[in-house]
Amino acid sequence: MSATEPLGLESPAARRGPLAMEAVELTKLYRLGRRSVLKAASSVSFGLYRGAVVALVGESGSGKSTVAKLLAGQERPTSGKILLDGKPVEVSRRHAFRRFKSTVQYVFQDPFASLNPVHTVRYHLSRPVRLHRGRLGRAEMDSVLTGLMEQVRLTPAQQFLAKYPHELSGGQRQRVAVARALAAEPSVLLADEPVSMLDVSIRLEMLNVLDALRARFSLALLYITHDIASARYFADEVLVMYAGEIVERGPAEELTQQPAHPYTQLLVSSAPDPDDLGSVLRHGGGSALRQAGEGGAGVGGCHFHPRCPFAVERCRTQAPPLVRIDRTRAAACWRLEVTAPTLLAGARARGEGGNADVVEM
Amino acid sequence: MRSLARRQEPPVPGLLPATGQSELARDGQAGLGGRGRGGEPVLEIADLSVAYRTTAGDVHAVEHVDLSLHPGEVVGLAGESGSGKSTLAYGACRLLRPPAIITGGSVTYRGRRLAEPVELLSLHPEQLRALRWREIAIVFQSAMNALNPVLKIRDQLLDVIEAHLDLSRDEAHERVGSLLDLVAIPRTRLKSYPHELSGGMRQRVMIAMALATDPEVVIMDEPTTALDVVVQRDILGQVVELKQELGFSVLFITHDLSLLLELAERIAVMYAGRLVEVAASQELLHAPAHPYTRGLLGSFPSLRGPRRELAGIPGSPPDLRGLPPGCPFLPRCAFATDSCAEVDMHLEPVGEATSGHLTACPFVTPGSPSPPSPPSPNGKGGRR
Repeated sequence: MSATEPLGLESPAARRGPLAMEAVELTKLYRLGRRSVLKAASSVSFGLYRGAVVALVGESGSGKSTVAKLLAGQERPTSGKILLDGKPVEVSRRHAFRRFKSTVQYVFQDPFASLNPVHTVRYHLSRPVRLHRGRLGRAEMDSVLTGLMEQVRLTPAQQFLAKYPHELSGGQRQRVAVARALAAEPSVLLADEPVSMLDVSIRLEMLNVLDALRARFSLALLYITHDIASARYFADEVLVMYAGEIVERGPAEELTQQPAHPYTQLLVSSAPDPDDLGSVLRHGGGSALRQAGEGGAGVGGCHFHPRCPFAVERCRTQAPPLVRIDRTRAAACWRLEVTAPTLLAGARARGEGGNADVVEM
Repeated sequence: MRSLARRQEPPVPGLLPATGQSELARDGQAGLGGRGRGGEPVLEIADLSVAYRTTAGDVHAVEHVDLSLHPGEVVGLAGESGSGKSTLAYGACRLLRPPAIITGGSVTYRGRRLAEPVELLSLHPEQLRALRWREIAIVFQSAMNALNPVLKIRDQLLDVIEAHLDLSRDEAHERVGSLLDLVAIPRTRLKSYPHELSGGMRQRVMIAMALATDPEVVIMDEPTTALDVVVQRDILGQVVELKQELGFSVLFITHDLSLLLELAERIAVMYAGRLVEVAASQELLHAPAHPYTRGLLGSFPSLRGPRRELAGIPGSPPDLRGLPPGCPFLPRCAFATDSCAEVDMHLEPVGEATSGHLTACPFVTPGSPSPPSPPSPNGKGGRR
C-alpha cells in the first residue's frame, strides 16, 4: 500500500496497517493582500495508516495546523488531492461532508477553548453520537456515553458526565475532547498539539490514552507537535515541516537519533536535555542558527538558508527538492553530503541510496 | 559588556538614604554569590500562607512555604497547574487581589540599594509601589495579554521607565533603545505594535520591560510556555546571559521540570500548595527523594540516550477545597502506606545532608527503590 508515498519511499507507518488517508501534493495559499501570498503548505504528500501514528513536527507558523485543517476539510486546498480509502474526498455536499466527518475527526490544541462552558460533558458527547449514529434510546445512549468515558479513562462515568468544563482539569477536558472525537467512530484522528496546553506530568498519561485508543480501534493518527522528543516516543513516522514544506521524513527513532536536515538537527539540539545539565548556560543564546524570525516562506532558494550554518550559494538561489536518502528516509537539502555523511554512506553500502546522490555539489 | 546608560538614580522614596555606589555589580562575577551582605538571601519567604476566601470556606493555595533566593541565583519553582506556584510568587509581592488573602508568614527583601531589609507584607502601599518593578520585576506568562495592544512597544517601555526612574526624555529614549539591544530586537521595531511581533519577540519585549529599571529580583512566570522549543531555548539562553551580565536573581516558575534542570541552580517542587522537595538541580535529578519529584522526572520523554520506560503520574492534582489530613500526594503515590494519612507534612533535611536537600516525605529517601518499575540510581536503603 505504501507505493503511493513520494520517491518510492516506504513509510514505517505502513507496517501497522492499511492506508487510510492520503495527502497528495497538497498546497494551500493564503492571499494576504492584493499582491502578497502566503504559502502555508506546498506540495505536502504523505499517508496515514490504520493503527499507526504519524507525527508532524515543526515550529509555530510552519504549516502543521494548515495541513491538519486541509485533511479535516476545514480548508480547501489550493491544489492537490486528499484521498480517503483510495477515493478522492468530496466535501461539496452536506451529506458527503457529514460522512467524511464521521470518518475523520479532529482534536484541538486548547481544551479550555474547545468545550462550550455552558454545557455539560453529557451534552458535548451526546450531540456527536446523535449526529453520526442516529437517534438512540435513553438507555442505549447512556451505555454509549459510559463506554466513551471509559475509553478515555474518565471514571466514574456518570459523575463526570454531569460536570461542566470548568469543573474539570486541563487533562480531563482534553479527554472529553478526545471522547467527543471518538463518538463519531472515526478511522482517522487528527490531533493538533493535543498535549501542549497540558502540564508535563499529565501529558504522558494523555499520550498513553491516545495510544491505547489507536491500538484498540486501529485509528490512523496524525500527531501534530512542536515537541520532537514526544514524537520519538509516540510516533512511527516523523515528518518535519519548515515554512510549509516537509523538509525531512523518516522512522521516528532513526530520524531523532540521526537527523539529516539542518533544521531537524536544530530542533533536536533545542530540546531540553536533562542528561546534559546546564547546556543552556554553555551554548547560550544568540547563535546565528537560533535567530528565529528570519527565513521562512518569504525567502528565495531554500527557506531555511538564512538560519543554516551549512548554506552555500546554491541554497540561496535554488530550492532543494525532497530527495531519498534510503528506503524510509528523505530530506530536502542540497548539502546532505555535509550534514549527514554517515547516513548517505550507510545507505549506499546497503544499496538503498536513492536520488540523494544526484545532488552532490 | 553592553552597558545601559547608568546614573545615580534617586533612592526609592521614603525607604532609604542614597547608598551611593551600591548599584548592582555589573561584572560577570556578580552572579556567583559572595556579594554584599554575606550569604543573606535577597528575597526570603518564610512560612507564607495564602488562602482564597470562598463561601464554601478557605482554599489553602499556599501553606507554610519557606523559600529563599540568594543574590545572582536562579531558583526554579516547579509544579502542576493549580499547585499554587504562581500564587506563591504573586503573594510574595502582594500582587494578589481578594478573594486571595495572605494568612500568615513574612517576606523579607534585602536589596543592595536599600539601607536595610524591608518586610514586604507590612509595607505601606505607597512604599510598595516604589519597590515593585524598581526592585522586583515580573515577566508574566502570556506576553500576548500582558502587552497593551494599542500602544507601540516603545511607549510601553517608556511608561515603565518614566514611572520608576527620573530620566530626561532623551535619556529615557536611549534607554529604551539599549533595552531592545539587550534582548536582541532590532531598534527598527521600536514603533511596532505587539501584534506585529512574533511570540518570541513579544516575550523578549516583556523581559526587556522587566529589566528596564535594573531590578534585583526578576520573577518569571512560565515565560516560555507558549513558545516552541527553538525560540524557548533562544530566550532562556538570553536570560542566562543577561543574568550573568546584570547580576539579578531569578525565581523561575514553570511546570516543565526538564527546563529547570538545565536552567536553575536550585529547584523547589510544589504540590497542593506546599513545597515537597528542595534541592540543587544536580541532586534533584540524580537523587530525588519525594515520590512526586520522581514521578515528574519519569514523565518527560528524552531525545537522547536509550528509550526509557516512561511512567508518568497517574490521577489528577487534588482539589484544594477540603484536602484530607496527611500527605496530599497520597492518592497518586506508588509508595503510599497507611501511615501517610497521618503524617504531618513539612520539609526535613534528607539524611544528615548539609547540602540543603529537603524533602517532605518522611518515608521515602533517595535510596528507596521505586515500587513498580524502573530501578533507582542506587539500589541501597530500604523502603522506610
